[in-house]
Amino acid sequence: MGRTATAVCIAVLGAALARPVAAHGGTLGGAARETATVPTWLILATGGAVVGASFLLASFATDREFVVSIHAGSRTFPVPGRRALVWAGRAVGLAALAAVLVVGFTGPTDPLSNTAVLVVWAGWWSGFSMTTYLVGNGWPVLNPWRTLAAAVPSVGRTYVWRGGAWASVVGLLALIWLEVVSPLADEPRTLATTVVAYSVVTLGGCVVYGADAWFRSVDPVARVFRYYGAVAPVGTDDDGSLALRVPGAGLTDDMLGGVDEVAFVVALLWVTTFDGLVATPTWETVATTVVGWGLPPEVLYPAALVAGFGFFFGVYLLAARAARGTANTFVAAPTLARRFAPSLLAIAAGYHVAHFLGYFVRLVPALSLSITAPFARVYPDVIVLPDWFGLVGIFGVLGGHLLAIAAAHAVAFDLFPGRIQAIRSQYPFIVAMVFYTVVSLWVVTRPDVQPPYI
Amino acid sequence: MTDHPDSPAFDEPGIEYDVPPDRSAAECDYCGRPFADESLLALHRGHEHPDEATESDRAAFEDTYEAETGQLRRFRLKSLTALVCLYFGLLMVYALVI
Repeated sequence: MGRTATAVCIAVLGAALARPVAAHGGTLGGAARETATVPTWLILATGGAVVGASFLLASFATDREFVVSIHAGSRTFPVPGRRALVWAGRAVGLAALAAVLVVGFTGPTDPLSNTAVLVVWAGWWSGFSMTTYLVGNGWPVLNPWRTLAAAVPSVGRTYVWRGGAWASVVGLLALIWLEVVSPLADEPRTLATTVVAYSVVTLGGCVVYGADAWFRSVDPVARVFRYYGAVAPVGTDDDGSLALRVPGAGLTDDMLGGVDEVAFVVALLWVTTFDGLVATPTWETVATTVVGWGLPPEVLYPAALVAGFGFFFGVYLLAARAARGTANTFVAAPTLARRFAPSLLAIAAGYHVAHFLGYFVRLVPALSLSITAPFARVYPDVIVLPDWFGLVGIFGVLGGHLLAIAAAHAVAFDLFPGRIQAIRSQYPFIVAMVFYTVVSLWVVTRPDVQPPYI
Repeated sequence: MTDHPDSPAFDEPGIEYDVPPDRSAAECDYCGRPFADESLLALHRGHEHPDEATESDRAAFEDTYEAETGQLRRFRLKSLTALVCLYFGLLMVYALVI
């Protein structure tokens, strides 16, 4: 694609995404919104075209050895003082948890002055999450509940549940529902109570089933970071030593155990969309209409969350089934769904950058002030981002898509003996990716309104 | 998943196969994997079993590979056309709209 086209795409996506996206915590968000001068349908068409064009470009790479070599090879590197670093990481995790609980219950109630609110939303859910896919998954070290669970003996019951990862899917949707409907980012007391509830459930699970089984199978938070970690350039080798690899190389592995874990990947993609969707005027209209028909508002949000997830998941499963036809293969649809799903994680990571990078940078002064003076009511500066900053998010979105398409391409060449067959197998998945992109772009180009009935 | 009691296990345990009852599969003699047609099987033999393959297997692989290269060339021409249309199409739409 020519430079002009790239520039046009970036400009359009830039205009589309430059506004602050429904921030986690109304009072923490709220900066002026730039208006896009490009009509929405054209923005959506361009976004979809970018994904389609990237696929067409990738399809020029048909040399099997070349395609495999892009993602192959990782270089292990030693970490000096690894044990000390691990202990330091655990100590930081525990200190952060203690600070969230103590300051959450007793500190100032103004969210911009409260350590609990800032550490959880700016420090952890934005800042730390970004490190998991940009650098590597450090959560197993930092995770304070894992550290605490190691100190408590476990009953050691074997975790047997035929539902597999569906427990994590339900957990993730429940956490997002809580985040959307409750004032978790505005009221430190509510946030601290939620953290206590999460701690009780998590530590209880660890005591009964053992920390490894719990964080591997059930806990949605550990799973989110583990999956994001597959996008990152730093991963672990078979023997546990750290290894450097091409970003997105982990996505070509057969990393998902079954369709239940595919569901979690799709859920992760869907919740980033849902977050913004509930703040659109269209949602306001739909919600008021449906509640007018007699549906209680308390049911509305979880129902929409589950229905939307079902729709996204259905689209993906249909794509996997259709790929059997376009590739003319007897590989079972669940295997296709499993192998191509990790590439969606790069897209989810790209949207996470677009949603949270600006939010994180704006709140860095407040975060550092609240850590140095946890009990003071301060009036921190909020960094005003320059206009070009929107581009960083766009490059995140575009970069995520490029990684995803490269990973899907490599997976197809790994699965199928024919080169044309490998290209054709990707058609349905590319259609699904275009669909997800268009939906996400549509959400971020709507004006922000306060979600109704909350 | 199909059963291949007489054939050795697939070397990639993560792949399941599902042959519809109304379709017949071309099965690999070396690993038992089912393929939709003989040409895909020939490509598979060439890539996965280069050491076991017989002379005729090898010839079949080379012929199929050649034929596929021709198909690929046509596919590339089509994707290049699509890319050019996409590029100029969007360029013109932008010129008209903005």
